[in-house]
Amino acid sequence: MKLLIEPSTKNNLYSDYADGIILPLENYAVESIISFSLAEIKKITKNSDCEVFIKINKNLLNEDIDDLTNILKELDKLNITGIFFYDLAVLELKNELKLKTDLVWNQTHMVNNYRTCDYYFNHGVKYALLGKEITLDEIIEIINKSKITSIVEVVSKPSVAFSKRKLVTNYYKDLGKTVSNDIIVKEKITDSNYEFIEDNNGTSIFLDKITNGTVIIKELYDNNCQYIIFKEYGINDFKELVIDTMNYIRSHCEDERYVSKYSKLGDSTNFFFKKTIYKVKK
Amino acid sequence: MKKIELLSPAGDLERLKVTLLYGADAVYIGGEKYNLRANANNFNLEEIKEACSFAHNLGKKVHLTLNIVFHNEDMSGVEEYINDAVSAGIDAFIVSDPFIINYIKSNFPRVEVHLSTQNSTSNYKAIEYFEHEGIDRVVLARELSKKQIKEIIDKVHCDIEVFIHGAMCTCFSGRCALSNYVTNRDANRGGCAQVCRFAFENGNNKEFTMALKDMNMAEYIGDLIEIGVRSLKVEGRMRSLYYLATVIGTYREIIDNYYAGTLDDDKMEVFQERLDRVANRETSTHYFMKEADYTDQYYSGRSEVSNQDYLGQVISYENNLLKFYERNYFEVGDLVEVFTPQGIHFAFVVEELFDEDMNKMDVARHPDNIYYLKVDSDIQIPEYSMIKIVERKNN
Repeated sequence: MKLLIEPSTKNNLYSDYADGIILPLENYAVESIISFSLAEIKKITKNSDCEVFIKINKNLLNEDIDDLTNILKELDKLNITGIFFYDLAVLELKNELKLKTDLVWNQTHMVNNYRTCDYYFNHGVKYALLGKEITLDEIIEIINKSKITSIVEVVSKPSVAFSKRKLVTNYYKDLGKTVSNDIIVKEKITDSNYEFIEDNNGTSIFLDKITNGTVIIKELYDNNCQYIIFKEYGINDFKELVIDTMNYIRSHCEDERYVSKYSKLGDSTNFFFKKTIYKVKK
Repeated sequence: MKKIELLSPAGDLERLKVTLLYGADAVYIGGEKYNLRANANNFNLEEIKEACSFAHNLGKKVHLTLNIVFHNEDMSGVEEYINDAVSAGIDAFIVSDPFIINYIKSNFPRVEVHLSTQNSTSNYKAIEYFEHEGIDRVVLARELSKKQIKEIIDKVHCDIEVFIHGAMCTCFSGRCALSNYVTNRDANRGGCAQVCRFAFENGNNKEFTMALKDMNMAEYIGDLIEIGVRSLKVEGRMRSLYYLATVIGTYREIIDNYYAGTLDDDKMEVFQERLDRVANRETSTHYFMKEADYTDQYYSGRSEVSNQDYLGQVISYENNLLKFYERNYFEVGDLVEVFTPQGIHFAFVVEELFDEDMNKMDVARHPDNIYYLKVDSDIQIPEYSMIKIVERKNN
């Protein structure tokens, strides 16, 4: 099992500590805290020994296609392990251009069953980042039943929604003020905070709670999960966590002290042990 | 030029019949499984058969929503469900999860597959991908401009469907799990609790909302026809009969007048007023002519309007007596209007009102009770005509 990191600053990419890094592509990545230009990505891939994944997960518009075509051709020349994609235009372009770089199916809240994973595998997609709103049992079933290589987001502040609208700007404009920063709002029923972060592509909404899945890593490892993801944003002492996690994986997840040490990290295990419902009528 | 399709929602058989009678060319419905309105009434198999039979007798079509995002546990039985729905007469499936496409196209080539707006398809290259998969139609994301829609239509071969009227999601469809996190109800499996309409708190007890105004594209129907859109979709499988009769009937008239070259400003004013009267929120055209901005949203201090215009649903009209189910209070002396599925509207002052036992009444005040109105008109007033208030005498 390999550990992938999505860094939250450009100062430390963790490429020396983890198995791989995820770099959101400037103008084409959403639900991310930072992004990297093509030039920066070229430089990083040249100087890194770890696996590098690129994130291109916005809903693409017609006017993006020509530019993205050129970018994909450039990325294909680099030593990129995979490209996370949301929009099917990326898969269509990979097929049209006969690109060699592998893809990661990353339709945020939709990667929820093994048959659709296999559908994409049969259409040339090597990896799938599984949805964050399914249970550990469902994750394990997908890993065991699908031919696709599953990736599981284990530690992060989860992104919960994305809007094309400028929700922060609009809010302040209605108040007659200019935007000063991104905002955190409280949902009153659950007493949970949500963070709204806006950029040129729209507004990403994050749950302002850390999902701590360190407790499930052993089960993922035992079920031959190939990749897990940690996202740095909002997590203190992240470098230590990364180093400890790499050691834990190297120990075949046998070191109980790791789980104990990080049992208090964050506030939630998200949906790993909680099933959603959808029928409320009797 | 093939005439554009007017596509209506229908939450049950009665709504389906009403919307088809009022001029929809096709309806979309949800079955008992696999659709994104898990908590609506939805259609069982027998009802789907009856719906298809009713629609096909009118030369119209029925589309079945099969657009949940499947979890492992949902997949058992989906092929059998599709087989049964096809046997019942379904003309098209609206899907979101692509693993189903191949099964339908391989086994039932005459049945169309439409890609749901849940996929938020927003560019021509993604549509080209799905064309290779055999998709017949794509329901576009609601975040696109006229120019972007036209460019897509110019570059692809499949049919393009767009939403023209109704409630809007704040986030990209399919790209929102707020409902999951706030209420534990799965948005992408039909449990959406519409959390984007909740009021949040932005410190110091200040309210923060991100709810959207509804969509109303009435003034741009001609543009949508001219750029080659194939189908115009109205949102609202859970809406009332009166709402659907009004909205579908009005869009039917707009479309027909446009093709006949008889759509002028005076008529549009009447049509827009009808649509505005049944709306419970303000409306906007959102992204169609500009980038959506703060004027398309609601912020603090908003309340939704409850419309009480709807007075009754006609059961029959014989011997100048209009028999109807009452829906909202009205009284003798009020100015009311009857409108029919054929698009006939006529107004009159209520002079004589009777209860079910033909006792003379001054007011109708018991919803669902049967009443009679004396009407002096030679016009045919068929079942499912509607009665609405124009002006109350005590205003």
